[in-house]
Amino acid sequence: MSRCVDVIVVGGGHAGIEAALAASRMGMKTVMVTARKERIGEMSCNPAIGGIAKGTIVREVDALDGSMAVAADETSLQFRMLNRRKGPAVWGPRVQSDAMMYARAQQRTLEAGAVEVIEDEVTGLIGRTERIEGVQCRRNGPLKGRAVVLATGTFLGGMLFRGEETWRGGRTGDISADRLDEDLRRRMFHVERFKTGTPPRILRDSIDTGSMEEETSEEIGFSFSYSGSRLSELREFFYTVHTNRDTAEAAKDFLHRSPLLAGRIEGKGPRYCPSFEDKVVKFPERAEHRIYVEPMGYRSRLLYLNGLSSSLPREAQYRMVRTLPGFHDAVIHRFGYAVEYSYISHEEIAPTLRLRRTENLFAAGQVCGTSGYEEAAGLGVLAGINAARQCLDREGLVLSRMDSYIGVMVDDIIGRGVDEPYRMFSSRAENRLYLRQDNADRRMLPAALGSGVLSEGKKKVLEGRTEAAGRIRTAIDETSMDGVPAGILCRRGELNPLELLSTSGLQGSVELSLAESVILDEKYQGYIQRNLRKHRERSSESSVTLSSIDSFMDIEEICWEAREVLERRRPETLQQARNLPGVRPTDINGLIIHLGRKCSTWNNRT
Amino acid sequence: MDYHDDAKGIICAVSTPEGRSAIAVIRVSGSGSASVVEHLMGLEKGRLRGMRRKTGVIRRAGVELDSVVALGWPEGSSYTGEEMVEIMCHGIPEVTADILECLMDAGARKAVPGEFTRRAFMSGRMSAWQVMSLASMWRGMDHGNRLSGEGGSECSRLLRETRRVRELLEADIEFQEEHGTGGSEDLLAEFGSLMELTGEFRRKTSVMEGECRVMLMGPVNSGKSTLFNRIAGGEAALVSDEPGTTRDGASVHVEIRGRRILVCDTAGSDGTGIDREAYRRALGTMKGTDGVIWMSVGGTEKTPGEIEKTAGWIIRVSSKSDLVEKCTDKEWLGVSCVTGEGIDELQELVSQFPGSMSVTALADRIENRVGAARDSVIEGDFAVASENLADAENELSDLLDRGSCALISVERALSGMCVGK
Repeated sequence: MSRCVDVIVVGGGHAGIEAALAASRMGMKTVMVTARKERIGEMSCNPAIGGIAKGTIVREVDALDGSMAVAADETSLQFRMLNRRKGPAVWGPRVQSDAMMYARAQQRTLEAGAVEVIEDEVTGLIGRTERIEGVQCRRNGPLKGRAVVLATGTFLGGMLFRGEETWRGGRTGDISADRLDEDLRRRMFHVERFKTGTPPRILRDSIDTGSMEEETSEEIGFSFSYSGSRLSELREFFYTVHTNRDTAEAAKDFLHRSPLLAGRIEGKGPRYCPSFEDKVVKFPERAEHRIYVEPMGYRSRLLYLNGLSSSLPREAQYRMVRTLPGFHDAVIHRFGYAVEYSYISHEEIAPTLRLRRTENLFAAGQVCGTSGYEEAAGLGVLAGINAARQCLDREGLVLSRMDSYIGVMVDDIIGRGVDEPYRMFSSRAENRLYLRQDNADRRMLPAALGSGVLSEGKKKVLEGRTEAAGRIRTAIDETSMDGVPAGILCRRGELNPLELLSTSGLQGSVELSLAESVILDEKYQGYIQRNLRKHRERSSESSVTLSSIDSFMDIEEICWEAREVLERRRPETLQQARNLPGVRPTDINGLIIHLGRKCSTWNNRT
Repeated sequence: MDYHDDAKGIICAVSTPEGRSAIAVIRVSGSGSASVVEHLMGLEKGRLRGMRRKTGVIRRAGVELDSVVALGWPEGSSYTGEEMVEIMCHGIPEVTADILECLMDAGARKAVPGEFTRRAFMSGRMSAWQVMSLASMWRGMDHGNRLSGEGGSECSRLLRETRRVRELLEADIEFQEEHGTGGSEDLLAEFGSLMELTGEFRRKTSVMEGECRVMLMGPVNSGKSTLFNRIAGGEAALVSDEPGTTRDGASVHVEIRGRRILVCDTAGSDGTGIDREAYRRALGTMKGTDGVIWMSVGGTEKTPGEIEKTAGWIIRVSSKSDLVEKCTDKEWLGVSCVTGEGIDELQELVSQFPGSMSVTALADRIENRVGAARDSVIEGDFAVASENLADAENELSDLLDRGSCALISVERALSGMCVGK
């Protein structure tokens, strides 16, 4: 006898957690199916959350009432603000967390969030592809649900590699989801392969930290969550070491046994998080690479070697590790390896993260082609919201790339596709001066309120902050310092937030950091408005269809080369035309003139 | 004549110098030009379509005019980008005139100066930068720099460099602290050399484009020479309190907002005596100027009609604003060379002369953007630096593309060309 729930989330990683919690917050009866309960929320790679652009995503997730920020705050061992000297638009909050505590915090949140967890393997979907009816579980049989979110991470058809060793698995010690992979392929979903990897874990007692550079925590009084979560008071030491010629030599000696270079891995790996052997091949002249030595947790006996990801055989990893200063007697607790997994091609995915060919199947995280915990969480919360909205028969939420990094990510993946695991960078956002970590709460508020994803408590916090920001803005409009309006001082970058608060009598009633944030919005206003204008111009072009054009070859207003390209590719809208290689801005102008001559509807529109 | 009314018809012109020569080349461009020439040569239809060469005889009313060689180019691969034919005939003025007449009888019209190149620009065969390079080569203004005219090399080099520096900047933002690569001090050195490159580029464009000419005009003793000296920063013109001291136009090159401008002083115009000649001379040279600064003490003397008519752009200056009551009319700008009042505004206005909205002005903007980017790096706002570099890149791509903002410069370059180019 099968049960029926609202939303089923397949996978308990960083995407799955946010998806399940979001759906649950929206009142959905939500079930998470995952192989092992105790590994929910595991940091399969490095024990850190955030970074440049990534830290901003964490705060966007928090603004949608997600759990990543709180979990990271509560388990923090060291906070850092990256790019502090490079301007507030690219500040990147990053925290080292206790990996075990982090996972447990997330598990507790799921429990508190009324998400039911079923320990099982999903072996396939049930129902027609156009309208999925639930999932088939290996032990528990069919589980019916009104919407399904796939958050399979590296588990979908997962294959692990180390030297000549190859075995099936989603992560070391965990099974892979092979039957589900087969079912998706049987349903004719366009599935591709990516790979990623992880470095060896070292026993802390086996190394000598005396000779290493220590990275101390910068006390910045920062928390990821806008709700001001309780920060952990635990502190840990982190170290950096550099690889040397011997490390590179060790890797080179074993290159012929690399599964990647031997051609046994087909999937493409993350360019910006390459294995050490990749670096040796790519930069043969450089032997020095920085390695971060990160404890897996508070007083953890395990160390993570960030930057030394490898899928070379065990003996190679030993040789490489022991060339590092202080590591001559190092004992490897768990060897590094590579994992190859299936992801669903971007053509299948809609901006709501629904798979286009289905009514109620969604995807989030690595299965969409991304990499990274933060990216996964960002997609997870969006997929969860939209799975719930599907159940509620409401229109899906689409985030604009002008308002959030999550929006940039979805738009990039869907619009351009991915040919390597997608990692977020600040430079991917044209509206970067607006998409800052300090204003994610205000940026996300319309989407957060409109989607119905906020709990009452969070809603109060965020509305309170927005209201306070409004008061600060009014103060800027109404205050002058020595006869100069505060707004002008903002744009010059000369307005002291403390002075503003004291002059306008807001001191004590609003947070200083909020004042700084509002001042930044004001300071960058010119750039932000210009970017928005440009974007509007571009997107209005998506509503202009080119269907009235029989042959592009006859359009004399545009150049010959562009005519050929247009005729061959036959774009449907002006925007598509603009994105074609060989079509230049003036050709688009020519096209507009041509359309203006042909049909009056364009004139009406403009 | 207005290009825009008939931007598509068949045009023709002799593209070789006037006078007797062994051969002359007549260019015919526009959709249908092949069939026009085929008809003239009595060829079968379609014989000149595509990349074709045909020899034959051009006849009018049965009378043989000349034996010619005709080369046909298909649309998309000719100089203009249009369907095109070049007729090689004997270089005798009577012959070329006859053939042109035949072409015009068959529906072609005579090209206006620079029209072939203009069409090449409009159809995407040439970038703004290429047109300008070509024009300056023809003007013989290469000043020792051989401009190849083929690839806009300086322009694309600057674009490449700007892009490279922006990529370095982005890499510094994304990776420097997380991965420990690169460093900000290298970045500033890169900005230093990029600044040098942009400066060089601006100087080059101003040479290529020729400069913007501005004339100082006004009644006797209205303060033209004082203003001139103020702008020139020296005693370039002879100044005295006696009316009409300036006997003839002195001129000086100045840089205003990065744009090289030639400011010409003129003699005062009270319309009498010896000044009259100088004034008439000044009026005569006005045609080549981009604008006129009309000066009058307190704005009392209105601009003469003949200047209003000829000058494209006039700035009205109410001078000696420290001594007399200022003109309240908004059209007039109060300026005092003694107190410096209005000088900044005047420079701003001069830099907005249509002739200044040119590639040189664009190069100036690029230099400003790159400078602003460097300042932002020093101030520690890398994202703003990147926005500024992206702006510079966009301006440069416009120049290499066929963006509309470069159009004015193209028109300017074309205006210096002769028929057939």
